[in-house]
Amino acid sequence: MGNSRASRLLHSLEGVAYWGAAAPVLARLPAGLGYRLACRRGDWLSRHQAAKRAELARNLREMLGDELSRTAVQQVTRDWFRFASCDAVDMMRLRHGARPLRRLVEIRGREHLEAALAGGKGAILCSAHFGSYDSGFSVLHASGFPVTSIGRWQYKYTASLSSAERRFWDRVYRPVRRQRARPNIEPWPGRFEVAALAAAALRANEVVTICIDAPPLDSDQARAVEVPFLGRRARLLPGVVTLAQVSGAPVLMGFVYRSADYSHQVLEISAPVPVEGEPTAAFQRCAAEVNAAIRKSPAQWNYWPSPVDLASLGLISPERAPAPSPRLPASVR
Amino acid sequence: METVIKDYISRELVQDPKLLPLADDASLMESGILDSLSLLRLVVFLEERFGITVGDADLLPDNFASVNAICAYLRAREPGRQAATHG
Repeated sequence: MGNSRASRLLHSLEGVAYWGAAAPVLARLPAGLGYRLACRRGDWLSRHQAAKRAELARNLREMLGDELSRTAVQQVTRDWFRFASCDAVDMMRLRHGARPLRRLVEIRGREHLEAALAGGKGAILCSAHFGSYDSGFSVLHASGFPVTSIGRWQYKYTASLSSAERRFWDRVYRPVRRQRARPNIEPWPGRFEVAALAAAALRANEVVTICIDAPPLDSDQARAVEVPFLGRRARLLPGVVTLAQVSGAPVLMGFVYRSADYSHQVLEISAPVPVEGEPTAAFQRCAAEVNAAIRKSPAQWNYWPSPVDLASLGLISPERAPAPSPRLPASVR
Repeated sequence: METVIKDYISRELVQDPKLLPLADDASLMESGILDSLSLLRLVVFLEERFGITVGDADLLPDNFASVNAICAYLRAREPGRQAATHG
């Protein structure tokens, strides 16, 4: 118990030191060197966070076991920690404007987004907690597409964080927040205006991003639907489809993939996904795209080592999820 | 106005028939009739039916708490409409 608390404290301190001091320095180095050093930190984390590494490998084997060899599981696990460290460098590169990161992120499929916006009803970019999605959306915004995101800043809702920690993470995320058309539209229990605010952004012909793989809050469980996901059935919120059907905005899928050199990334934007018809069936098509992205590059999915999130999604048994414990924001890996 | 709004909510948004008939002062949020997405549907309906635009600042729970609250909000927005509807 004492050891676990000490190790959590150590991890927390290391995270603050990395995000607050090391990553900003790495972000100022030549990209190749900065991201290589970030990978070293990822390797160090992978060695020292044995429980997290084991959980990650176990979940990969359970859900993608038939597709991944033992060696592949090890490689995906290692890359998960590397990508997590690289995500911090992405965010820090945004501190001095978007140009330093824009040079490293290629946007593919922007013609789909331009065509969607030409319809005048905005566009919904449907994504997942996958890769460096927050920074990717910032690059998109800085490339001339007004972006607003639906999503919670986790640090605001993690009860165990002190006010100093909240201020710290608020500062960390500031560069991302700057590269948005409007403040994040943050769903929380009892907040009824979320979809209407998103519709207002769409009416202004903006791009609204939604990560559809978030575990539903307790208060939203009644609205969740079961869809095939990673060989199981996940409980997800199909709000993206209702928003599209009511607003008339097309839904495009968008995923940020990190290249083998770790420093370059590609934001791939798809053609519109059909969202007509019965909402659950339409939502299954969106979930299938997320599923395909995760299978294509499994190391980029944030939730692998989090039994609490995976249990909330219905992907693993609730008995495997420990009671919620103090943790860093979900996107801080 | 009350009838039009109540008909729409009863027909399109109420999932549980036990909540019908809908009272003018019934809480739409506490009863679970309105959530984020059904509020959006309602707003789109009100905008189309009454020719108004509901701004971000007006998306307050108080304005949509019940049929009565919605009508009060619409009357406050469109003073001329009250006379047309009741006059």
